[in-house]
Amino acid sequence: MDRSDQLSFSSGEVKIGLAMKSVDNVATVLNDVSCGDKILIKFADSTSVHTIVAKDNIPFGFKVALRNIQKGEYVVKYGEVIGKATEFIGEGHLVHIHNVEGLRGRGDLKMVGEKI
Amino acid sequence: MTFLGYERPDSSVGVRNYVLIIPGGIISDTICNFVIGCKTIVTADTGSGRSKRDRETIARTLIGLGMNPNVASVIVHGRGLGSGYPELNVNRLADEIAKTGKRVEVLDDPNASTLDLIGRGINLAREMVREASRLRRKEFDDSNLCIAVKCGLSDTTSGIVGNPVVGYVFDKLVSKGGTALFGETTEIIGAEHILARRAVNEEVAKAILKAARETEERAKAIGEDIRTINPVPANIAGGITTLEEKSLGAIAKSGSMPIQGVLKYGERPKGKGLYFVDCWMGTYSIFLGYAASGAQIVLFQLGGGGMAGDTILYSSCGFIVPLLWLTANPKVYKRFSNNIDFYSGTVIEGKETIQEASERLYSLILDVASGTMTKAETLAHVDPNQIYLIDPML
Repeated sequence: MDRSDQLSFSSGEVKIGLAMKSVDNVATVLNDVSCGDKILIKFADSTSVHTIVAKDNIPFGFKVALRNIQKGEYVVKYGEVIGKATEFIGEGHLVHIHNVEGLRGRGDLKMVGEKI
Repeated sequence: MTFLGYERPDSSVGVRNYVLIIPGGIISDTICNFVIGCKTIVTADTGSGRSKRDRETIARTLIGLGMNPNVASVIVHGRGLGSGYPELNVNRLADEIAKTGKRVEVLDDPNASTLDLIGRGINLAREMVREASRLRRKEFDDSNLCIAVKCGLSDTTSGIVGNPVVGYVFDKLVSKGGTALFGETTEIIGAEHILARRAVNEEVAKAILKAARETEERAKAIGEDIRTINPVPANIAGGITTLEEKSLGAIAKSGSMPIQGVLKYGERPKGKGLYFVDCWMGTYSIFLGYAASGAQIVLFQLGGGGMAGDTILYSSCGFIVPLLWLTANPKVYKRFSNNIDFYSGTVIEGKETIQEASERLYSLILDVASGTMTKAETLAHVDPNQIYLIDPML
């Protein structure tokens, strides 16, 4: 069930991360997070919550890995593939352009897989 | 729900009441400088050395602007699109606009000097704005509205709150019989399969996939990783990592209703409901196209997390349609509250749900439709407009 219309993200003292779908392996942090902070992970499509520990400084609006992501593994947000890990990304680490590449519009590559 | 608008002869309803002077250039500019209540387009895209497809896009844009419900009447002058292409003929433009039943005057006389035409145009425009001012706003149902959206300088607040709020408003407007437009074809790449599933039929689904494919092919032909172009550096600085991530967040602004069709830039929808416009995301381009497609109000859903502070936001890129600035980013709203009309970061702060914020936006849109000025509308600055042209310049 999609409960995103009813969603509200209380922050206060607790650092919050929001994952859009239960299958996602990343969440967007809704506070500036420092390395070592605990992040309470909420899901837009379920009531489940869990806590992870930040292993990097993660600015507001950036993504944190919810579990270990292997090199070459898809990065999943909104329940969809947003790219591929270019190196191993440990749980709690920042996920951004330094460790993820896009798969679409890659004029720089010879072979491009279209996901249609 | 209702708003107060201006009834046009073709039964469309304007939320503003301008006299439009096209196709731009010194005649249009001078008339607008002398006469209150006139608007004109400022663009360098006059059709010279352009393909037939692109000349048709310019013609469709100018005709669409003239037909827009926010325009009471139109002056078309014959100097400016001076290269002689039949698509851009002054009488053709005027005749097409006149199909709406609104007053269209052709200002063209081969024996008159440009200064003579300016003098005649000023007197004509003065009469036309007085005539337009006799119209009174009347109450109309919200099904008469056509709203269009661009999400720009997106960051991750766009995908999780800002765009979903617009999507909720779109769903509400469409469910009430209104019309909603979204576009930015590059920014459905990676999410086009989701949109295709929402198409009303197979033909529309194929058109959505084709638009994305053609844009991606053009991108790949450049030989660069698209991430060096789009997402733009400000998106990446705001937390967006790949084009796919940007696209998946961007489509949230379209809501969840069926997609009735794919429109060309500046093309008018054949019916009501939700439409996808195959167009470029550029701010100076997209709102012009939406206005030509018949939108009476346009929304800029701003992320802004990667923006430098204290920027004056674009003001008149819709120029005959009120532009509303929205953001969900708490930090951005603090910096730009003098420019931003609507804030949905309340959801991120835990003070409001997406539904509550969306209802607030819907009310604001009706208020603006009834005549309340947006913050961008208070500025006299005129931005240039870029018509979305595709083919090489020859």
